[in-house]
Amino acid sequence: MAPPEPSATAIFYRNLGWLRFVDRFGRKGSHIVEYVGGLAEMIGEAIAGCVTRPFYAGEMLRQMDELGVKSLSITGITAFVTGGVLALQTAYSLEAFGGKMFVGRVVSLSLVRELGPILTALMVAGRVGSGITAEIGSMTVTEQVDALRSMAISPVRRLVVPRLLAILIMMPVLTAIADMLGILGGLAIAILEIRMTFQDYFSSILQQLQISDICSGLSKTFFFGFEIAAIGCFNGLQVEGGAAAVGHATTRTVVLASICILVSDFFLTKLFLAI
Amino acid sequence: MSATLSATAQSPAPAPRGETVVEFKELWKSYSGRAVLAGVNLQIQRGEVLCILGPSGTGKSVALRHINGLTRPDSGDVRIFGESIVGHSEEELSPVRRRLAMLFQGGALFDSMSVEDNIAFPVREHTEKTPQEIAAIVAEKLTLVGLPGIQRKMPSELSGGMRKRVALARSIALEPEIILYDEPTTGLDPVSSEKIAQLMVSVNERLQTTSVVVTHDIVAARTAADRVVFLHQGLFQFIGTFDEAASSEHPVLMEYFRAMGFPCGTGVFQAAPKGV
Repeated sequence: MAPPEPSATAIFYRNLGWLRFVDRFGRKGSHIVEYVGGLAEMIGEAIAGCVTRPFYAGEMLRQMDELGVKSLSITGITAFVTGGVLALQTAYSLEAFGGKMFVGRVVSLSLVRELGPILTALMVAGRVGSGITAEIGSMTVTEQVDALRSMAISPVRRLVVPRLLAILIMMPVLTAIADMLGILGGLAIAILEIRMTFQDYFSSILQQLQISDICSGLSKTFFFGFEIAAIGCFNGLQVEGGAAAVGHATTRTVVLASICILVSDFFLTKLFLAI
Repeated sequence: MSATLSATAQSPAPAPRGETVVEFKELWKSYSGRAVLAGVNLQIQRGEVLCILGPSGTGKSVALRHINGLTRPDSGDVRIFGESIVGHSEEELSPVRRRLAMLFQGGALFDSMSVEDNIAFPVREHTEKTPQEIAAIVAEKLTLVGLPGIQRKMPSELSGGMRKRVALARSIALEPEIILYDEPTTGLDPVSSEKIAQLMVSVNERLQTTSVVVTHDIVAARTAADRVVFLHQGLFQFIGTFDEAASSEHPVLMEYFRAMGFPCGTGVFQAAPKGV
């Protein structure tokens, strides 16, 4: 005798695990689509705000100081120490091949093409991205953003555009300074530890380093800065709830901005190598 | 005063008192499947002070935020000055919002700005006034709310009541036609609450505005309201004067008034509650 056909209810419960998975997957997917759509909408409005009145030049200058100048210490120290470590590692790795003379060029190329932009961007994402989200998020939960809207003032133009422009201007500056400090860090180690001369170190750099290396490194920073500002501002504007929500949004900004920086760095590197 | 009045000189001429300036038609709004506003209808006349009463969490603020488009309805219509604002983009809402002002529950003062900059902010944004004219407007509005000479203070230096009064000064800086008050007396002691309520009345009279007040403070409603509406379970269960509300035999309204210390339907409500 054939077993009885399972009932619709039995089939439903048998597939419940799958249904739950599909449901969860669908919800997650729709959240991601919603997030990306909202972010794109904000970016569109921000770009329009960059080229149409009103302009908030004073606020932009304040943000350049807040987001850029005040980040100099953290990005500078990071680059200086990294330059030193890079010099040490290079000298150690290439010692057997008599590669001490390559220290300058390895340090400078690594820093200018890759480490300078990426480390600066990650430091700025940590310091500035989180700060932007925390500030705008606090304004959102205390209804200051709604107050702007109720006064017929666009929060994107007032809050996002000045920060976006400030970061776009300051990121290449911070990176250029970080590159120089990194090379100086390498120089310090080259002289003190590896017993190289100042002339050997710099002649090694000048032989190898091209203007195109510097341009490729600095060009990346515009993209990184854009990602940090856009994600930081959007997450701040999206906060709902209280202080805990601001904290979560801040963490999300640092994580997401860091991932975006690293992923986009790969594609940008490929692009600049191809050009 | 002439300087401040010219701030709104380009606004359309105000319509006569009694004209409908805010209208809800079959307004629906739900959150997570729960209807907070379930097809409400309401007309607010120019020049009146209307208080929306009701227990916490019933959607009073949601109703208020529909007036300036901060919240969008699921269905129904919101007409401001006779014009429907449903479906308007933020940019399209701007002309309407310039004729409105909103006092938020916590004041929503900009933390990074002084009191003067907070009040001057909408004036700088929407007018071409000189710094001297703006300073005069700030001083005048601060005097109007009873806080003269505090221009240089930061919001963090102010008490809760002062923050609300500064926020009110900011709201009236452009002399709006409608002022929306979201829980203006919440978190204040009874004396400060009464002062804020009286201030709402005096601002309404002096600036010839219309006021919509969301509150669960019956004392403030008694002081300020020309009419009250009672929101419960997504519907305006009662619309009328405060006296009519207090003598109503509507069971939910009676329970609400009783819970707030006003025995309803007995005439005892006329007496001030304890502590005021």
